[in-house]
Amino acid sequence: MRARLTRRTLFSLVLGLLLLSTAAAMRGCMGPYQHLLSQLQRQAHLTEDTSSLLEPYIHLQGLNTPILRGSCTEHPGAFPSKDALRGLSKRSFLRTVNATLDRVLKGLVALQKQLLNNDLKELETARQNIQGIRNNIHCMSWLLGGSSETAEPMQTGPGSWLQLTSTLDVFQAKLEGCRFLRGYHRFMGSVGWVFREWGESPSRSRRHSPRWALHKGVRRTRLFRRGKRPVPRGQLPW
Amino acid sequence: MLALQIWLVKALLIFLTTESIGELLDPCGHIDPESPIIQRGSNFTAVCVLKEKCMDYFHVNANYIIWKTNHLTVPKEQYTVINRTAASVTFTNVVSPNLQLTCNILTFGQIEQNVYGITVLSGFPPEKPKNLNCIVNEGRKMMCQWDPGRETYLETNFTLKSEWATEKFDDCKTKPDTPNSCLVDYSPVYFVNIEVWVEAENALGNITSDHINFDPIDKVKPNPPRNLSVSNSEELSSILKLTWINPSINSVIRLKYNILYRTKDASTWSQIPPEDTASTRSSFTVQDLKPFTEYVFRVRCMKEDGKGFWSEWSEDASGITYEDRPSKAPSFWYRINPSHSHSYRSVQLIWKTLPPFEANGKILDYEVTLTRWKSYLQNYTVNDTKLTVNLTNDRYTATLTARNIVGKSDTSILTIPAYDFQGKLMESKCYLITVTPVYANGPGSPESTKAYLKQAPPSKGPTVRTKKVGKNEAVLEWDQLPVDVQNGFIRNYTIFYRTIIGNETAVNVDSSHTEYTLSSLTSDTLYMVRMTAYTDEGGKDGPEFTFTTPKFAQGEIEAIVVPVCLAFLLTTLLGVLFCFNKRDLIKKHIWPNVPDPSKSHIAQWSPHTPPRHNFNSKDQMYSDGNFTDVSVVEIEANDKKPFPEDLKSLDLFKKEKISTEGHSSGIGGSSCMSSSRPSISSSDENESTQNTSSTVQYSTVVHSGYRHQVPSVQVFSRSESTQPLLDSEERPEDLQLVDNVDSSDGILPRQQYFKQNCNQPETCPDISHFERSKQVSSGNEEDFMRLKQQQISNQNSQSCASGQMKMFQEVSAADAFGPGTEGQVERFETVGIEAAIDEGMPKSYLPQTVRQGGYMPQ
Repeated sequence: MRARLTRRTLFSLVLGLLLLSTAAAMRGCMGPYQHLLSQLQRQAHLTEDTSSLLEPYIHLQGLNTPILRGSCTEHPGAFPSKDALRGLSKRSFLRTVNATLDRVLKGLVALQKQLLNNDLKELETARQNIQGIRNNIHCMSWLLGGSSETAEPMQTGPGSWLQLTSTLDVFQAKLEGCRFLRGYHRFMGSVGWVFREWGESPSRSRRHSPRWALHKGVRRTRLFRRGKRPVPRGQLPW
Repeated sequence: MLALQIWLVKALLIFLTTESIGELLDPCGHIDPESPIIQRGSNFTAVCVLKEKCMDYFHVNANYIIWKTNHLTVPKEQYTVINRTAASVTFTNVVSPNLQLTCNILTFGQIEQNVYGITVLSGFPPEKPKNLNCIVNEGRKMMCQWDPGRETYLETNFTLKSEWATEKFDDCKTKPDTPNSCLVDYSPVYFVNIEVWVEAENALGNITSDHINFDPIDKVKPNPPRNLSVSNSEELSSILKLTWINPSINSVIRLKYNILYRTKDASTWSQIPPEDTASTRSSFTVQDLKPFTEYVFRVRCMKEDGKGFWSEWSEDASGITYEDRPSKAPSFWYRINPSHSHSYRSVQLIWKTLPPFEANGKILDYEVTLTRWKSYLQNYTVNDTKLTVNLTNDRYTATLTARNIVGKSDTSILTIPAYDFQGKLMESKCYLITVTPVYANGPGSPESTKAYLKQAPPSKGPTVRTKKVGKNEAVLEWDQLPVDVQNGFIRNYTIFYRTIIGNETAVNVDSSHTEYTLSSLTSDTLYMVRMTAYTDEGGKDGPEFTFTTPKFAQGEIEAIVVPVCLAFLLTTLLGVLFCFNKRDLIKKHIWPNVPDPSKSHIAQWSPHTPPRHNFNSKDQMYSDGNFTDVSVVEIEANDKKPFPEDLKSLDLFKKEKISTEGHSSGIGGSSCMSSSRPSISSSDENESTQNTSSTVQYSTVVHSGYRHQVPSVQVFSRSESTQPLLDSEERPEDLQLVDNVDSSDGILPRQQYFKQNCNQPETCPDISHFERSKQVSSGNEEDFMRLKQQQISNQNSQSCASGQMKMFQEVSAADAFGPGTEGQVERFETVGIEAAIDEGMPKSYLPQTVRQGGYMPQ
């Protein structure tokens, strides 16, 4: 009897802690699904604009010539392609975007070091915006009933990320930074595309019911079987 | 070495000094608590504890303690000596924000010496911060404001806290001089909801405001639009086009605008309707402006959906609308200068410049034409505002127009009279005299007045007419007299009105009126009215006018007729409703239900199971609740059959228990509008069989109706037999004839019996059947039966049951047994009558009757 009581107490304690932690984690995630989706769409729209970061970088680094601009192309495979992103489930998509942006943040830090004393305030703005996007992705993941960090995201090509090693000369480092930023803007454009698809296609959004819908007792039928869903390269099941 | 010695000396000196100061400053006691902060209005107690050393030295104890606040001695009543070394003082309802409390002792019983002192602070705990709101000035950091609540009188710290779902931001601590706002030190990120709240804390407590959660983009105060410029249009002189550069946040959000404008000299602003500027734009065309007028504009913007704050106003910008042709001709006059020549005269034409709002632009020049008669024309183009010309003594007409870059104004015309012009003024004519002042720079505003050389009475009186005639009043109207017939200033009118026989009444009316209401008139009366207009010199009557007041006021007839009609309609409606509610009763009285044989069918034929009646059970007798039915049983009474046989059949019938109801059937039982109760059946099966072969078989219509529809009235149908009885039943008149014939042939007449439930009076009137029956059954007793019928009718309203039964018995006795058997009939009065059935008489029917709703074989 005593052991039973203890077990019950422990169970209640764990449940309470879980609820508290969930509540604490979701503090600030107040908006409804559509509002959050709208925010993500607009954030992606803002960050895909090259004038927000790439163009200032090009001007600052003296890369504003047609030839150099032509060389400033995205590394193939550095960022997930639009088709790959569109093929992901909502949760996988969010995880992938979250992980990619995490690496973009690291890349921005590297760029900042590369710039040394050349202050590029757009870098800090971009960093804050990316943090904001990740926050919204976190909330969206919660609304969809999952977490943006609990599973492994889609992998990108090996060695495709910004590596500003000491072996690179200054020019190459600048060009690498440019190509990295080019990929970043393109990636955010693709992300915005997918988010807009979420808003335009209700059937697609049913693949993962928002948490608010589940809370209302709405039970959705799973429209696609996991095995038949197009799985992009490197994608891990949810 | 030397340095070491110096250092040691210094150290020793410092030590000795410190020790001596310590001794000197060592107090003789202390107050507890040391630094109290209390809530304002609460009680406070402080305890002063003396040191033994001082007590011995100064020969004091706790009784020698004196408390002082702000150098004023606290009354002894507030002291409490705790023990020899400690005494306390208590203050109630402390309201002073800062209280200097000292503990003193009377050394040697007379010298007051301070022992210890503290400062007591009082205040309030912080209130919950309210109305927390934040603003994001574009390009700057977010600032939040709130209402800190009441003054705490204590040092209170306000901390603004903010966080995302995934990140917590640094606290924003307020500055002492701005405890109700804080500027965060991070740039807001748009499109990410942030949660913000305020924590207030002081020595008496802490409290947190409500949390607010918002997207910083919804709190944006944009920068004002810049580079506002104004341009006009040559095509339209009433528009100005504004252009500006939107703030950079326009790349993130859509904007709406407020545009204010005013003329340069005006002090109040007008606003463009906000609905016209409710979307993002960088230009706007303002319409309906005055030509060639300078306007000043300003514009501001905010988020299109109205969330956030308006920007500051932009810098003012001004512009002038394009010119338009002068809207008015300049007024001008002439001045004739003295001339030495007799044939010419020097005439100076003078005019004023048009004000800007009439000039509608810059006046380039004036065009003057002078016309003598109609042939000679002189044109002048003048930049000045005067023109001097030499004219002959003839009469001239001068015209003047002003011209600007767009066009010319209308023309002003001036007549210059001939040199020898002499006016001839007439009496009784109205003249308009205009005086125009002529200044050095041109003519002033003219003033005009009407005048008569001499007045006279009007040459014609006003014509009055009625505008509206009521029962007791009439509205008269008239036209002002034309100037030609006025002959002077009309001072007033007088209205005279009278009836044919009455005195004339006069009413004076002011000359400015053209309408007057005569009141207190008599209805349906002819009135004669005339009107006189008066000048200063007398009056003139107008033509007489007659009108008749109506007998009734407007709507009076309607007020009588409408309620009467409504009452009639209401009565009719109530009558219809009553008839509708009582339709069954009415129908019973007027249109009794006649069964339609074509829709009948035999539901169940039960010759083998004669219906059983429990005549003693009232419930069974009335079980279906339908008491309005009448069963007619036709019997053939054989006068050859001895009466005891009838009794036998009665006995046999009594043995039969009719168990079925509703759709039972019987042989020889003819029924019309009968209840669902079973009709009379034959006394036994054999008889039934025998009778079936030669008698009409009737059956009861099934209750359930056609295809489960419940019939409104239960009817009985009969079989397909073509027996004469059926025909006679369907055609009673035939039956009567046949029966009469039968009766004359020595056959007992058929007798019709009524089964009528008399619990419902409406069933009683169906007496015609009875009458018919009586006629059929016994023609020679017709008079007797009519008498009975009359008796029954009289009893209908009382007790139909008993009346009917009595009637039944008498009829039965008279028909079936004749007068001689009356005594026997009386013995069966409770069971009714049953005709005897002769087995040898196949056409006989088993009669039946009813007593109190049941059937009784007889």
